[in-house]
Amino acid sequence: MAIEERTISMLVNNQPGVLSRIAGIFSSRGYNIRSLCVAETTNPEVSRITLTSRAESDFTEKIKKQLDKLVDIISVTDFTGAPAVQRELMLISLRLTPENRREILRAIDLFGCRVVAMSEDYLIMEITANKDKTAAILRYFEPFGVEEMNRTGAIAVFRQKREG
Amino acid sequence: MNTIGADIVLKTLAEEGVEVIFGYPGANTLPLHDRLAEGPIRHYLMRHEQAAAHAADGYARATGKVGVCLATSGPGATNLVTGIATAYMDSTPLVAITAQVDSDLWGRDAFQETDIIGITMPITKHSFMVRDVTQLASSLRQAFQLASTGRTGPVLVDIPKDILSAPCGDQPKKIPTAPPKRIEHPEQIERIAQALNRSERPVIIIGGGVKLGDACERASEFVQKAQIPFVTTMMGIGSVASANGFNLGFIGMHGNELANRTIHQADFILALGTRFTERSTSVIEEFAPLATVAQIDIDATSIGKNIKVDLAYEGEIQDALTALIPLIVPREREGWMGRIRVERDLQEAKLKDGGCGQAGNLIRKIQAAMPRETIVVPDVGLNQIWTVRTWQSHSPRSLLTSGGMGTMGFSVPAAIGAKLGAPDRDVVVICGDGGFYMNIQELATISSYRLPIKIVVINNGHLGMIRQIQDLFYESRFTTSELGETVDLTAVAKGFGIPAERVAVDEDPAEAIARMASAEGPYMLEAMVDQNNYVYPIIPPGASNMEMICGK
Repeated sequence: MAIEERTISMLVNNQPGVLSRIAGIFSSRGYNIRSLCVAETTNPEVSRITLTSRAESDFTEKIKKQLDKLVDIISVTDFTGAPAVQRELMLISLRLTPENRREILRAIDLFGCRVVAMSEDYLIMEITANKDKTAAILRYFEPFGVEEMNRTGAIAVFRQKREG
Repeated sequence: MNTIGADIVLKTLAEEGVEVIFGYPGANTLPLHDRLAEGPIRHYLMRHEQAAAHAADGYARATGKVGVCLATSGPGATNLVTGIATAYMDSTPLVAITAQVDSDLWGRDAFQETDIIGITMPITKHSFMVRDVTQLASSLRQAFQLASTGRTGPVLVDIPKDILSAPCGDQPKKIPTAPPKRIEHPEQIERIAQALNRSERPVIIIGGGVKLGDACERASEFVQKAQIPFVTTMMGIGSVASANGFNLGFIGMHGNELANRTIHQADFILALGTRFTERSTSVIEEFAPLATVAQIDIDATSIGKNIKVDLAYEGEIQDALTALIPLIVPREREGWMGRIRVERDLQEAKLKDGGCGQAGNLIRKIQAAMPRETIVVPDVGLNQIWTVRTWQSHSPRSLLTSGGMGTMGFSVPAAIGAKLGAPDRDVVVICGDGGFYMNIQELATISSYRLPIKIVVINNGHLGMIRQIQDLFYESRFTTSELGETVDLTAVAKGFGIPAERVAVDEDPAEAIARMASAEGPYMLEAMVDQNNYVYPIIPPGASNMEMICGK
């Protein structure tokens, strides 16, 4: 079975220990969680957890059934291959030199990144994009000597279905 | 006396129909143990918390009610772990209550503090840490609800001592909950019925879920109407009356060759309440290679977990069978039944003593000496396989065995729970010497409550099943499996105040068995058996269910 990246999103009760139960479902079956994003929803009693994991195609069905059994899980949605908008936020810091400064600033502009902090020889940029694009951007800047990188992991929202 | 958290606990338990608790006190349970004297609930003081969990498990298996055990924080709670895991693997409804250190001590490595919720997460259906005394009743009610519905199983409720002793008002009475929503997919049942009606060589597999779902009568009715042979898993033994000619025995590693061979030839399998564990199927790719597989289970995660299924229904087995029975067209499958008859004769001729040797004869004699409704509680190892292969279970709650977890030491404490749950029935433990040592302290519980439990220790001086595996598959290198014969177990039992005697299985043990059967109180029989008394047939590791061997 083909192994690919899967994105799963859950609504859960906003309570201590819930994340631990979910993590247990993945780890006891040997799945590694690649990215994880947790935040309260508009209802403070409910949190949304979005996570990604690399797995076979029957993974979602099997893991979804296991997750559905957890008392504190309200719903589980699989975003893999679904018509949805996926985004992650990435911060990259770079060391600037007189030689690379111009090229870096140009690339930042072209990629649609945003400079959030800058000094004479140092720069932090912010990128919000889907995972493929953040990966491509990171690859581009790596030869310039990325000092530090941090990213949030994916979040996703379904595209609104059109009427009719 | 003012109402405190502990009173709420006891009141809620009584509301849930709890009559018996198996427990062990500690500093943090004391508010609760202190108030036990006031109420109608009987508390049985075990000699180890592990035994309290097994006793609650045995009680639940014998009665179908939720078993309850109670332990203190720290080591009391961790001692429950094996018992909770045993209940989890066999889906026994259990509520484990643990006391926790005072809330203001959490996370400070206080005396006897342990994160029991974290430790038991993978072996419970759910758990509750009660953080506020007003949540006490609702957490406990939810625990009972969760333990006893869906795929039943253990739930843990951890209650800090300060909450047990917190003054509080009466908490609102239980609100009657709506019956759980039933999932209805009549078209799936229809498809299963059609496939079954079309099949030429059908077999039913009856798993432990049939008993757990109280669907035994429906399953018997189904077998009778459909005229279809059935096999069981080890956990399914006794679900459907054995004496109707359709029972082919149980499948798997230590199962009946007839059952394994028939499954292999079947063109249709209807699985009821089984997850197809590897102990039942061996090499899954070679299991039932010709069959269309239909699976009915209450637990969505069990459907298709281990085997690819062609047809499935998720829901109560009772409901499924009720819907299925009218759709079945009874049909004589003379060719198929004829083949099975020939195979049965062949197997019976091959294995004249049932594959259990003298130990099997002993068990047959014990059953003959005991009333028909006796509950038998085997331990784990050769004694378990001898028992499940030999003992004829006439009703669903007659054979209580640790199947999924295979917990040595289960039998003696589980028998205590069974006896207290079913006081009108006789209870016999069939144990090996290895497992007997593992909860030997419970002889004190049996003795002090004068529980009339009969204990048979089949003593071969070895961990017999390990020895057999070493003999067959590790070139007879018997490392670490010899327990020796220096201990006089009858003297041990007598020391605990339990009458005991020793017999050799190859001399006639009938008189000793009769003395045990007629004893008023507890009794222990130490039956000496040869270390080479194994069980056959057996499936070698890595082989399929068709490759059972009958000797070295």
